[in-house]
Amino acid sequence: MRKILSPLWLCGLLLAGTAPLFAEGADWKMDPAGSKLEFIATFEKAPAPGVFKEFDARLRFDADKPAGGSLDVTIKVTSADMNIPDVNKEIRGKDWFDYAAFPQAEFHSADLRRDGKRYVARGMLALKGVKQPVEVPFTWTAAGDGAVMEGEFTVKRGAFGIGLGEWKATDTIGADVKVKFKVKLRKG
Amino acid sequence: MLRNAFDSWGAPAKLFHWVMAALILAQIALGLMAANWRVSPAKLELFFWHKSTGMLILALVALRLLWRVANSTPELPSGMAAWERAAARLSHFLLYALMIALPVTGWIINSASNVPFRIFWLIPLPAIVAPDQPTADLFELVHGGLFTLLALVLVAHIGAALRHHYVKRDTVLARMLPWRRS
Repeated sequence: MRKILSPLWLCGLLLAGTAPLFAEGADWKMDPAGSKLEFIATFEKAPAPGVFKEFDARLRFDADKPAGGSLDVTIKVTSADMNIPDVNKEIRGKDWFDYAAFPQAEFHSADLRRDGKRYVARGMLALKGVKQPVEVPFTWTAAGDGAVMEGEFTVKRGAFGIGLGEWKATDTIGADVKVKFKVKLRKG
Repeated sequence: MLRNAFDSWGAPAKLFHWVMAALILAQIALGLMAANWRVSPAKLELFFWHKSTGMLILALVALRLLWRVANSTPELPSGMAAWERAAARLSHFLLYALMIALPVTGWIINSASNVPFRIFWLIPLPAIVAPDQPTADLFELVHGGLFTLLALVLVAHIGAALRHHYVKRDTVLARMLPWRRS
C-alpha cells in the first residue's frame, strides 16, 4: 500500500488541499438559449408578465464555497416585451423604462453567500439611472459540465422611477414587480 | 307573485329587467368613456369596470334567459297590428342577442389583445381566442358596430314602451314597472 504515497499522488493531494485557498470558483458563461429573465407586474391585481429578451450573466462561483464569487448581469432594457402591442409602445416612454435615456440595466454583486439550501447574491441594481441594493436569492443545480441558477425576487417599481407622474399611483398598476430568472450556465 | 302570468310579469322578471337596464346604461357610459379617454390610469380603470360589468351582464342574461324559458311570457294587447307584433318580437330577440354578443365580442377583444384581467379583481377571465392583434382590431370594429345596433334597438324599445303607455294607453309599460303590483 506504499504505492498510495507515490510522489505524484502526494502532489495531487497537496494541490487539492490548497486549491480552495486560491481559487475563487469557476467562471461561468450564460447560454442564452436556455435562459429566461421575466418581470411580472400587476394590472388591477392580475399578473401582467413580460420578459427581457436580451440579457447576459457572467458568474464566478463555487457552489461549495460561494464567498469570493461574483455575479454580473447586463440587461438590454429595450428588449422588454409584455406581449401587448399597445403596452410595448407605452413602456418605451419617459414615464416607464425611457428606452432613449436608459437602454441598459445592470446588476453587480461581489457578495455571494449560502442561505440554507439556497444562495443569495447581494449587490446593486442600476436601472433607469437609479442604483439600489438588491438581494437576489437563487438555487443552483449542477448538471454535468453546466449548471442552472434559478430564483425570483420582488422590487418596488417606484424605487427606480418606473411609472412617473400619474402612473406613480399603485392602485391600477401595482407597486411590486416580481423578477424571475432561469440562467443556464456553461463553464468557460 | 314570482312567476309570470298571461297579463303580468312576476317579481324576478321585473328585477332582471330593471337591474340589467341600469347595468346596460352604466356599461354604455363606461365603454364610451374608456374608449375615448387619453391613456392614463383613469382609462385603465374605466376599462376594468367596463369589462367587469360586461361579464356580470353576460352571467345575468344567462340566468334571465333560463328564467324566461321556464316561465310563460305575458301576452301582448289584443289590438296590436301584425307589424307591431313582429317589431316587438324582433326587437326583443335583438336585445337578448346583443346582451350576449356584446360581452362575448368584448371578451374576444380582451383575449386577442392579451390583456390580463380579473373580473372585479377576483375571477381570472380565461382566454377564448389566441393573442392576435388583427383579431383584436377586427372585433373592436364588430363590438362598436353591435353597440350602434344596441343604441338603435334601445331607442325603439323605449320609444315603443312610451307609445304603448301614452298613445295606445295599454298596460305594456305599466305591467313592467316595479312598484305596480301584478
